[in-house]
Amino acid sequence: MKFPAALSVALVAACAQEPPADLARDLDMVARTASVMVDGDVCKRIQTERSMGYMLKEHPKDPWFASDNFDVNHAAYIQTKKTLIRLSRLVSFPCDVNLWMPVPANPPRIQILIRNVHEMSQFWKWGDLHQEIPEEMKRVLAGEGRITASRRGGMVSVLAPVYDSLGAIAGLVEVVGRPAQDPQENVK
Amino acid sequence: MSRLAAAALVLGAVAAAQDLKLSAESRRPDPFGGIVAADSAGGAVLGESLRLASARGNYVSCHLAVLLPDGGDYQLRVSVPPRSGLEAGLFREWFHRLKAGGAYYPDALVPVDSGYSGHLPDRDNRIERQTAQAFWLDIWIPPASPPGVYDVVAAVSSGGKSVARKVQVEVLAAVVPPEDALSIDHNSYGSQWLAGYYPSAVRAEGKFFASPSFFRLIHDYHRLFYEHRGIFHQLGYGHGGKVGPEFAPALAGEGRKRHIASWDLYDRHYGPLLDGTAFAQSRRPDQPIPYVYLPVNPEWPASFVNWGEPGYEVEFVNVVSEMERHFREKGWTKTRFELFFNHKKRYKAFPWDGDETRFPRDYEYFREYRRLLDLAVPKDSPVRFVFRTDASWTMEQQFKELAGVINFWVCGGGMFSWYPEAVPLLKGRGDIVWSYGGTPSVDQPPVHVATGVARAWMWNIDGFVRWLTTDPGSDPWFNFGGGDTVLAYPGDRFGISGPIPSLRLKVERNVAADLAMLKSIEKTKGPASVRTAVARQFNGTTPEQWWTPRPPLAGTPPQDWSNDDLDKVPQPDRDKFDHLDPDAWQRVRNYILEQVKERP
Repeated sequence: MKFPAALSVALVAACAQEPPADLARDLDMVARTASVMVDGDVCKRIQTERSMGYMLKEHPKDPWFASDNFDVNHAAYIQTKKTLIRLSRLVSFPCDVNLWMPVPANPPRIQILIRNVHEMSQFWKWGDLHQEIPEEMKRVLAGEGRITASRRGGMVSVLAPVYDSLGAIAGLVEVVGRPAQDPQENVK
Repeated sequence: MSRLAAAALVLGAVAAAQDLKLSAESRRPDPFGGIVAADSAGGAVLGESLRLASARGNYVSCHLAVLLPDGGDYQLRVSVPPRSGLEAGLFREWFHRLKAGGAYYPDALVPVDSGYSGHLPDRDNRIERQTAQAFWLDIWIPPASPPGVYDVVAAVSSGGKSVARKVQVEVLAAVVPPEDALSIDHNSYGSQWLAGYYPSAVRAEGKFFASPSFFRLIHDYHRLFYEHRGIFHQLGYGHGGKVGPEFAPALAGEGRKRHIASWDLYDRHYGPLLDGTAFAQSRRPDQPIPYVYLPVNPEWPASFVNWGEPGYEVEFVNVVSEMERHFREKGWTKTRFELFFNHKKRYKAFPWDGDETRFPRDYEYFREYRRLLDLAVPKDSPVRFVFRTDASWTMEQQFKELAGVINFWVCGGGMFSWYPEAVPLLKGRGDIVWSYGGTPSVDQPPVHVATGVARAWMWNIDGFVRWLTTDPGSDPWFNFGGGDTVLAYPGDRFGISGPIPSLRLKVERNVAADLAMLKSIEKTKGPASVRTAVARQFNGTTPEQWWTPRPPLAGTPPQDWSNDDLDKVPQPDRDKFDHLDPDAWQRVRNYILEQVKERP
């Protein structure tokens, strides 16, 4: 494993918890770490320019016009996804760290750009390429810091900003878990 | 219809008193004594006699309609002549009320005893002013039945009066080959839906998803499709790589230490399917399922966190090697184990399209997985691993660029129809080729069930796939979306702890048997002659018209195509397929019967 030393300490501490004594607290720890570890400049390079160009186009007869043209730069995607997976392993219970990135539109929208193995999210409707920005995410993007949300199916999400090299908020992560897992859920 | 017609509709007025009427499988009764609108071409009405014919080792089928204009209780009894060997199966046809328009169409078939007591209007189906109850009659002709003509008698009695009708069954000397001409696949995803469809089973079991009832249900679905000359696929992982515990062996450890910790759930799930014992009570020879998805995906058995690093290769190769060894030791060597990727990048979990790949840059992942698979599986292994991809946009490029990587192609039927030269190319190098397509909704004539299957046969490929075949929608019984995917319904509401067939699945089975017979006829008549005759009988076409002339679009980059572009591709013969008359396949069947009778 290639974790920095500071994270290794957190990992050891987290692994000792089974089941989590405080789900929100543990997820917040991951989210705080994610704000440091996830590289906002790389995140901004994930979606290809061509794909972004199609993102908001609507075809009068083709409802899948944008999604059929969705594409990513593999290197940036893989680098970021690996970081997100590692972050999710800071806790010993099933956890996903999803990446959300703003979509330049008027009004601005947002897309989930990287999901992970348990396919948990409180904010994504299955299949949406992009969507309205939820209030909680607006607040994170506006600089309010981390926000904890619990609005769907017993899940707890901590939203945390992702920064670029200029110190600007490039996007956010949704660190999400739930007290009980359904092994059959999302196997489809 | 020819003299040899297997089904003869008799014109006549609907009786005013209690009655029992008959109709061919292509003419579905409605709940009011007529034929449903979609099948009523030519002014067809229910009849009083019917003659069916078939080679042995096959079913013949028809509809019975009990008519009680004034309602009331009735008893229906079906009897087969002794020593004929024939076996009757009776199914009550459920009339689904369509969400759009409110019309009633029969589709779900509830198995009932051949001595059945009912009431009109049916209290369960709840149709106002219902005067007719339809039944699907399956007559099984065992391979050892003596050839001859037999009267199967159906009789209805109500209020002390009885009416009997004869269904004449001509049993020919020929036997329908048990081997299918092609694979007809019925796809589904995961198994969570079983809990929703079978609440009684869930209530009865503590841990439903590890219970005997759960695995029996899965096997029941396989058996249902197998009995109907089809196969069943369940994909066992999600778009993000989450694997259902019953679809994969349990893993432990990471990196070099990753290994299979338990085969328990996997073997309970797949063991009876892979050794064929799940089909021991079948009328077909019990044999292992011919295909099965592997649980392999970008996140299993190797974690994507190690993608591109030595650890990914080690985790993948070690676990897949263990799987190969387990399958070999179990003797599971007749099934093709499919390495298959279902994810799409638009669902945001992986950076490449495993399914319907649109961007050539993604091909590199297929090449890497082929390399890993070859590392994991010994060259001389008797276990049959195949690398499958479901192709659409870039299939023509993939056929060339992924030669030797992919050896199982499942191709979108629309685009594949542009590329007739692909068949000799792919099959010439030993690849398996299937097409995929839709399922007609219940408000279309059932003959449309035949089209996709017959097209695959006409193209001389190996199979045809329908998707979501176990999903009936939120309320299939009283507010039905039309069932444009489902072919097997949950039986729970009828007190049946397993799936029940649809009428369309029965039609598909009968078509599959006909194709098996055609394959046999080809041996003497030649494939070209048989295909020419079938195309002519079906819809007045030639085999060439089952392909689409290559459009100019095919010469442009697929990444620039839209679905609208695809819709605009000229299909000069489309009308001939979109507007089939209900008897189109019956004419093919008549042709088959003529050929069979001609043979010594």
